[in-house]
Amino acid sequence: MKQNWLHIVFIFFLCTASAYAQLDSIQHLPEVMLTDSKLVHFSKGFKLEKLSDSLVKRNATSLTETLRYNTSIYFKENGFGMVSSPSFRGTNAAQTAVVWNGININSVFTGQTDFNTISPLNYNEISIRSGGGGVQYGSGAVGGSIHLNNTYSFKKIDTTEVGLRYGSFSTVGGNASTTQTWGDHYLNIGVDFISSENDYDYVGKEQRNNHGQFVRFAAKVNEARKLKRGVATWNSEYTYNDRNFSGSLNTKGKDAYKDITTRNLWQLQQKVGVFNTKGSVAHLFEQYNYFPESENPFNTGGKANTFIGAFQSEVLLQKKIRINGKLEYTYVKAEGDNVGDNSRKTLAAVLLMNYKLSEKFNYGINFRQEFLNDFDNPFLFSADAKYSVSKNYALRINGSKNYRVPTFNDLYWYAGGNIDLKPETSYQVELGQEVSVGKLKVDVAAYYISSEDLIKWIPGNGGLWQPVNISKTRNYGIEAVLGYFLKLNNKQSLDFNANYSYTKAEDLEKEKQLIYVPFHKTSSTIEYNFKHFSFYIQGLFNGEAYTATDNSESVASYTIFNLGAQYTLPFNPNITFGGRLKNVFNVYYENVAYRPMPSRSIQIFLNFNI
Amino acid sequence: MKKIIFMAFTALLFAACNSDDDNVQSEYIPAAFAKGIFITNEGPFNNGSGNITYISEDYSTVAQNIYRNVNGTELGNIVQSMGFNDDNAYIVVSNSQKIVIANRYTFQSVDSIKTDLNNPRYFVSIGGNKGYVSNWGDPNDNADDYLAVVDLRTNTVSSTIPVAFGPERMVTYNNKIYVAHQGAYGQNNLISVISGTSVENTITVGDVPNSMVVSGSTLYVLCGGNPSYTGTETAGSLVKIDLSIGQVTQTYSLGTTQHPSSLTMDGTNLFYNLDGKVYKVNTASISLPGTDIISGNFYTLQAKDGKLYAADAKDFASKGSLVIYDLSTNQQIQDYQTGIVPGGIYFNE
Repeated sequence: MKQNWLHIVFIFFLCTASAYAQLDSIQHLPEVMLTDSKLVHFSKGFKLEKLSDSLVKRNATSLTETLRYNTSIYFKENGFGMVSSPSFRGTNAAQTAVVWNGININSVFTGQTDFNTISPLNYNEISIRSGGGGVQYGSGAVGGSIHLNNTYSFKKIDTTEVGLRYGSFSTVGGNASTTQTWGDHYLNIGVDFISSENDYDYVGKEQRNNHGQFVRFAAKVNEARKLKRGVATWNSEYTYNDRNFSGSLNTKGKDAYKDITTRNLWQLQQKVGVFNTKGSVAHLFEQYNYFPESENPFNTGGKANTFIGAFQSEVLLQKKIRINGKLEYTYVKAEGDNVGDNSRKTLAAVLLMNYKLSEKFNYGINFRQEFLNDFDNPFLFSADAKYSVSKNYALRINGSKNYRVPTFNDLYWYAGGNIDLKPETSYQVELGQEVSVGKLKVDVAAYYISSEDLIKWIPGNGGLWQPVNISKTRNYGIEAVLGYFLKLNNKQSLDFNANYSYTKAEDLEKEKQLIYVPFHKTSSTIEYNFKHFSFYIQGLFNGEAYTATDNSESVASYTIFNLGAQYTLPFNPNITFGGRLKNVFNVYYENVAYRPMPSRSIQIFLNFNI
Repeated sequence: MKKIIFMAFTALLFAACNSDDDNVQSEYIPAAFAKGIFITNEGPFNNGSGNITYISEDYSTVAQNIYRNVNGTELGNIVQSMGFNDDNAYIVVSNSQKIVIANRYTFQSVDSIKTDLNNPRYFVSIGGNKGYVSNWGDPNDNADDYLAVVDLRTNTVSSTIPVAFGPERMVTYNNKIYVAHQGAYGQNNLISVISGTSVENTITVGDVPNSMVVSGSTLYVLCGGNPSYTGTETAGSLVKIDLSIGQVTQTYSLGTTQHPSSLTMDGTNLFYNLDGKVYKVNTASISLPGTDIISGNFYTLQAKDGKLYAADAKDFASKGSLVIYDLSTNQQIQDYQTGIVPGGIYFNE
């Protein structure tokens, strides 16, 4: 079996080929503008995948679901709907940055984002940027970054969407949003919620998930206004999550967790001479409360306010050289029962350059230096290039130095927090190939990441656990994405998408694979479309992942399939209805050891597009 | 094109094949577990099961995961400790809120106690048909801690005794139970004396009494002292209690930043763990810290018949080991792999 992965890799290399997984319906909209333009202009030599609207809607339960089935990112989910942390290219959860309209929103306390607390419906563009993004996105963009963007446009738009979802385990969801433009205004507002008893049975175990109820509510307001020589935008969102935490096969769930986040971003873009300038101010708020006994009001919690002020200026010289300079000041103030009352100031200077040497060749060089922090601020850099060998074939290469700063929990946790921690650093290189022949797109990327000074909590004398900059890891692997669209005739088409990843993530001291990093992960979807009807099969293979650091214990691999179908009534207003059967073969599987995932279940939905 | 799709599918299949990789080996189950060492392995903290390792007295047999291999079921989450009475072993599984009872010689499951326990910690038996279980209750509530009194004929909790916060290890002497209040996730400094179903007395000792041994009518209590993060750091100490009068007769202190643990005794010598070393102290002339005889960070220690048994939990996320030292030479004589987080060492006679 050991040789199998080699086969796979070999096969993928032979039939070399990028599927920016799906063609995005957003792309068809005219003049859509991103609030975070760095993502497009300064990531040429990086793998950037965009998830289409239809994919997001299909997996609207949580961002975990959206990404699990459509990317090579692996999620460690503590039972369905519970805490979910990503591993991107074998890095840990705090080494994956989640970036909302250009701003890193990983928690001040944990340094990570719980992907089950994020509503995928709050954004009109979800992109995945693989590889190091520390220069652009700061701390934690090591394995890659997930971009949640709200776009805007000043073309005539008047759409209102209302969706209703209902499913097994008393799951009810709904969303409503409207997008309007008039004159120089763009306005998008929306709300959505999901609530579930989540009381699925553990397949073949005569046990139920009795303590996994969750509710999520999210609201958004996105506004843009065209000015004489620029644009003013406001992005705002609110999310509330209330969850009981599931037990495991041999423990009863007792605890609960509530969290609230608000995010606001105001930006003013102005053209001054040849310069495109942008000033922005942002405020992020996060609050959590952990209840050791869900029935008991006793809890511990924390809240943090982050204020960001930034100014950037961009210039395009001779239509070839794009240079962007940015200064960003961040002030974080956090208080919590376990971390006291602390603050952090950071000033970052970023310089990005992209040079389009020819239609075929493009390269970029980027730098970041931070100031003011108490700890040693590393100088970060990245370089990337893309070379289109032919119409069908392109090569890309990138290398970067990235970092992750210690979180407030790492620094100040009572007891154990260690204020002498320094940032984790990592170097990486990636080589990617993109092939596009007609409707076939293949992307194969190979990467190597070397990290040191990784922060790890270890037991010290007297049994006190403390974080120290101790471990070193080496990750390498291959990711392949394949997309193929086959038009059978005027009415019928087939759409195939697949992701495969081989990930080797090694603790260099122990020479063992890191826990909860499967070697193999594959997901694929085949979709059949017949006029207004579509049917799809979604498959996911998640390889065995070790759960003990000496690789002596593991959580078994699993393969699950989902089926879905939908039909759109071709009238105006149009109505789409459909459903999805998840875990068709009622397979018992665990994502985290001893924490079973749901049995076979069904979801139905009804969407009105007015 | 078709070829590529085919190959992609082939890849999927190959990948799927890996799931058949389970190389489950039938594990060796000794015919009997008489005369040997049991090591309770807590198991991974959040997600998993603890288990028990058996090593025969003559070291000829080592068996892992003996409860599951005999009974086909797992013990549960956090195998905290075990105690004995007659032919039975009482295995305290704290996070699964239960006590699993197995025959100590065959390890066949006998019964279990699943009600009236709330974060159980340790078990002792007394007088043949009564058992006591220390319980934290809700760890965030310092006022709900108790001892559960178990009727060992029916294996049910017959009554509960409210006690001071953080009851942990227990020893018996002269039909009384001495409970060390280590203080759960916090700190406490008491020994409760239990007689029947009531608290007869409490004895104040040093902060964080974490281990005890009885020798004759003397109770030695090792107190870790408050750790520095409490802001009121106190020195570790060894407290000597005369059980015939129920009073502290002597307290020996260490330095303020010294926090010992795992007191054990063999012959007239006491052994304990401090700052990565094992110290030896002769009870005839106690002076702390004593002589350091062995280096190593051990999670727990037991001394018996001229040997020191030391459990190394390593990083608490991989298999640990049991290291055995000859106390006449202080040299390591054996090293066995255990389960994850070996936290208790017991002798089956």
